[in-house]
Amino acid sequence: MRTCFWTLLSRVRGTFLSTRLDDDFDREVGEHLALLTADNIRRGMTPDDARRAALMRFGGPMQIKEQQHDDRGLHFIETTLQDVRYALRSIVKYRAFSIVAIATLAIGIGAATSMFTVVRAVLLRPLPFAEPDRLVEISETNPLKGWTHTVSAPANFADWRARNSVFTDIAGYNGVDDRGASLFQRVLTVNDEPSQVNGVATTGNLFDVLGVRPLLGRTFTWDETFDGKDRVLVLAYGTWRNLLGGDPNIIGRDVLLSGRSMTVIGVMPRDFFFPNRSAQFWSPMGVQLDLFVKTRRPHFMNTVARLKRGVSLAQARDQMTRIASDLEHEYADTNTKMGVRLEPLHDIMVTDARPTILMLFGAVAVLFLIVCANIASLQLGRGASRMREIAVRRALGAGRARLVRQLLTESLVLSILGALLGVALATLTPSVLLRAAPSALPLFATPQIDVPVLLFAAALAIAAPIVFGLVPAMSSSRFDRLAERTESGSRQTTRARDVLVAFEVALSVILVVGSMLLIRSLLRLQQVDPGFSPEHVVTFKVTLPRIKYPKSADQARVFTDIEERLRSTAGVQAVGAASALALRGYTYTSDATPEGRTGDDYERETRFNAVTPDYFKAIGVRLLFGRSLTERDTRGSKVIQVNEALARKYFGSSDVVGKRLKGGRPSDDDPWVTIVGVVADVKQDGLDKATRPEVYMPYAASVQNPATFAVRSTIDASSIASSARQTVRALDRDVLLTDVTTLDNLVRDSMGDERFRTTLLGAFAAVALFLAALGIYGVLSYFVSQRSRELGIRLTLGARRSTLFALVIGQGVRPVVAGAIVGLIGALALTSVMQSLLFGVQPMDPPTYAIALALLGTIAVTACAVPALRATRVDPLVALRDE
Amino acid sequence: MGETKSEILQGTLDLMVLQTLEAMGPLHGYGIARRIEQISEDALQLNQGTIYAALLRLQQRRWISASWGTSDNNRKAKFYAITRAGRRQLAEETANWSRIAGVIGRLLRLSER
Repeated sequence: MRTCFWTLLSRVRGTFLSTRLDDDFDREVGEHLALLTADNIRRGMTPDDARRAALMRFGGPMQIKEQQHDDRGLHFIETTLQDVRYALRSIVKYRAFSIVAIATLAIGIGAATSMFTVVRAVLLRPLPFAEPDRLVEISETNPLKGWTHTVSAPANFADWRARNSVFTDIAGYNGVDDRGASLFQRVLTVNDEPSQVNGVATTGNLFDVLGVRPLLGRTFTWDETFDGKDRVLVLAYGTWRNLLGGDPNIIGRDVLLSGRSMTVIGVMPRDFFFPNRSAQFWSPMGVQLDLFVKTRRPHFMNTVARLKRGVSLAQARDQMTRIASDLEHEYADTNTKMGVRLEPLHDIMVTDARPTILMLFGAVAVLFLIVCANIASLQLGRGASRMREIAVRRALGAGRARLVRQLLTESLVLSILGALLGVALATLTPSVLLRAAPSALPLFATPQIDVPVLLFAAALAIAAPIVFGLVPAMSSSRFDRLAERTESGSRQTTRARDVLVAFEVALSVILVVGSMLLIRSLLRLQQVDPGFSPEHVVTFKVTLPRIKYPKSADQARVFTDIEERLRSTAGVQAVGAASALALRGYTYTSDATPEGRTGDDYERETRFNAVTPDYFKAIGVRLLFGRSLTERDTRGSKVIQVNEALARKYFGSSDVVGKRLKGGRPSDDDPWVTIVGVVADVKQDGLDKATRPEVYMPYAASVQNPATFAVRSTIDASSIASSARQTVRALDRDVLLTDVTTLDNLVRDSMGDERFRTTLLGAFAAVALFLAALGIYGVLSYFVSQRSRELGIRLTLGARRSTLFALVIGQGVRPVVAGAIVGLIGALALTSVMQSLLFGVQPMDPPTYAIALALLGTIAVTACAVPALRATRVDPLVALRDE
Repeated sequence: MGETKSEILQGTLDLMVLQTLEAMGPLHGYGIARRIEQISEDALQLNQGTIYAALLRLQQRRWISASWGTSDNNRKAKFYAITRAGRRQLAEETANWSRIAGVIGRLLRLSER
């Protein structure tokens, strides 16, 4: 072992000191020969004979010196260094080729590395919590309500916690829908400076279940979950740094949170995000103890549980299912058919992002192959022009393996340069993605360039030359003799390049079809009627501090006040408010019984929304039947509006004015309310989601805080926004105004994910098409330049220029057609995995394929036309003189 | 093949060089070659150049060291000397060698019978 090490060390030294050691050895051999000669003379030889005898005795000084040189250094490294030097020289010499190759490699490797950064951050890296594979999310299911993954009810949560033996603990935090936690907004006042912050209300054991220790101070205790002990606050690192100046004595300090004094007890580490990056503080739920005993409706808690060591997810599912069915029997009125679903926390957090990320990663893999094929094709074209050089080297005794190695080294150097540039591009990914990608990137994940990402890029840099360098190297090194630099060699090259072009075209077709499908989906989505007219509408959310406005009546008065003040602003046409704005989900859902139903026959998932009289006018929803709500409609008047979806589903017709329904079940004694109007369906959860049955109550009858306002006006959005701010501030400085945007933006943002992936895939497809075009162009140009003599002769003999044009075009079109056919088959096979990303378009959508082919055809013909035109312009005389 | 000149094994040459340096103290390449020829009473006729391959090998393993010095006739020459590690190796190899030689000797005598 040790001798091996010394030998290696000495050889490394030998490699770098090779010139000095060569001289050294020269001298030593000289001395040896001198001594030997001197001895020979002493034995009576003549000096000449003595010298000759000495040389023979010594045995070929040159060979021995060579041998010594090789043994002394690392032969492999030395020749590699030689190759690298040579490669750099040739890269500089063939500048145009090198720039194209390095640039396209940078794009290929950069794109792949960027996507890998995301794949790693989101899909591969474990969640940044202790033993994250033991974290499980528990949600509730109910076939009667159509629930497959819903937040849980507090009392159910408490019973799970008490009865299970599979979890170390279960924690909960407030959430509203199946898209995760709902953050609530508060004003944090530090030194009289108010800032708006997002918080999560949790049970006291959340951090213990996650297994994360605070950076400073402590986290909550279970007792602090409840009202009376809940005036404690844990801050996110960023909040502490930015809003509290990183005060090292923060622990124990009191801060004002929306008018309430809270004690800071802990600061979390810098890389802790839960449930997502927007959470700036955590506070206890602050509920009454009996919430966890009595409340099995409504459902509003997200849960996260930690499996005990040695307990499998399947075992936990078994036990939890048993507990859920016990609860079903014990609480038949609330828990009928209420099941549980357990999924690994990581799976749940990446559900939405996974298909997009995998599709984009597949796309960059394809793009990478296209880049390689393209460079291979360019190399082949160049190999032909380098044939002379290679033949000379071959004639001088370079072995084929040596030549292949040399050409591969050249490719490797190119690819490493490309990779360096690509990684430089990829370092921009994290910041760009965090800004540009909405929910495509789960917000817990931090994409960053780390060692595995660099290794990935290095692997690509090494893989690339094998893909793009080996074929050309093999084929170039085959030209043994100068004589072979003729027809047969170039024909072989041409065939290889045709195959490569076909390959590029095939892969491009797949990308183009994929991006066309997404584009058509997006167009379809944009054509969806949201049910309202979003133009010229500004919206914002107003939250009243509960401490100042504890009563519904007070809250209602403030909201009405805001409405009236805004209504009198010049240019304002209509002002309304709702508890849940269009495209913003819903406030709550409940059972409902249309009049005439009995027993078990009732509706289990009805959305309830509270609206002010002018809300529909403000966002532009059509009234289909009956009348709108007015200021005179209050709690006592027992009237509602409903949407068309409800009318059709519950009553089987659209015109249901005058019909009645009530909250709860047939047996409940909730009061009957009369439907006075039916409005058109408004999209609630997204343009791609069906509208659910929804009841609109007069705001006065069901005051919800916060309220979202909508202002339709003839003046521009920013001045409406600023007058809204002024109005609210004039009313009360502690009232929080947030989420200022326009309905147009809201609609656009709702398509953010779709637009993001469409843009990216579209860009990849565009690059692919461009490279394919480059490939086609390169092959044809080469063809024309090789045949210019023949074309010249044909012209002289009377061939028509149009014939030559057709000949060249035909030459170029063949691989394109072949590639297109293969690509179509591949696209048919591959795009079916995109199903979940498509809207209103089938993966086999014929127009998409037609458009993709037309696009490809146009580009291919354009790429062919330039060399073909050049062919027709061949001057016979010049062409003949060329040889 | 009437000649008695034997092909020598690589390892054998290394061993001879080590033994020579152990016995004679620092020597230059020519000195080592001469010494080996003398000892073998010219039964071994090596190309003296090949000695340098062995010297390099031994140097790389740190069994011998080399330094420039002055030879008897006042010329600059490179002198090789055995190192501590070299002595250890020599002892080991010698033991090895006699054992193998013993085994082979017995084997040959056995098959002669």
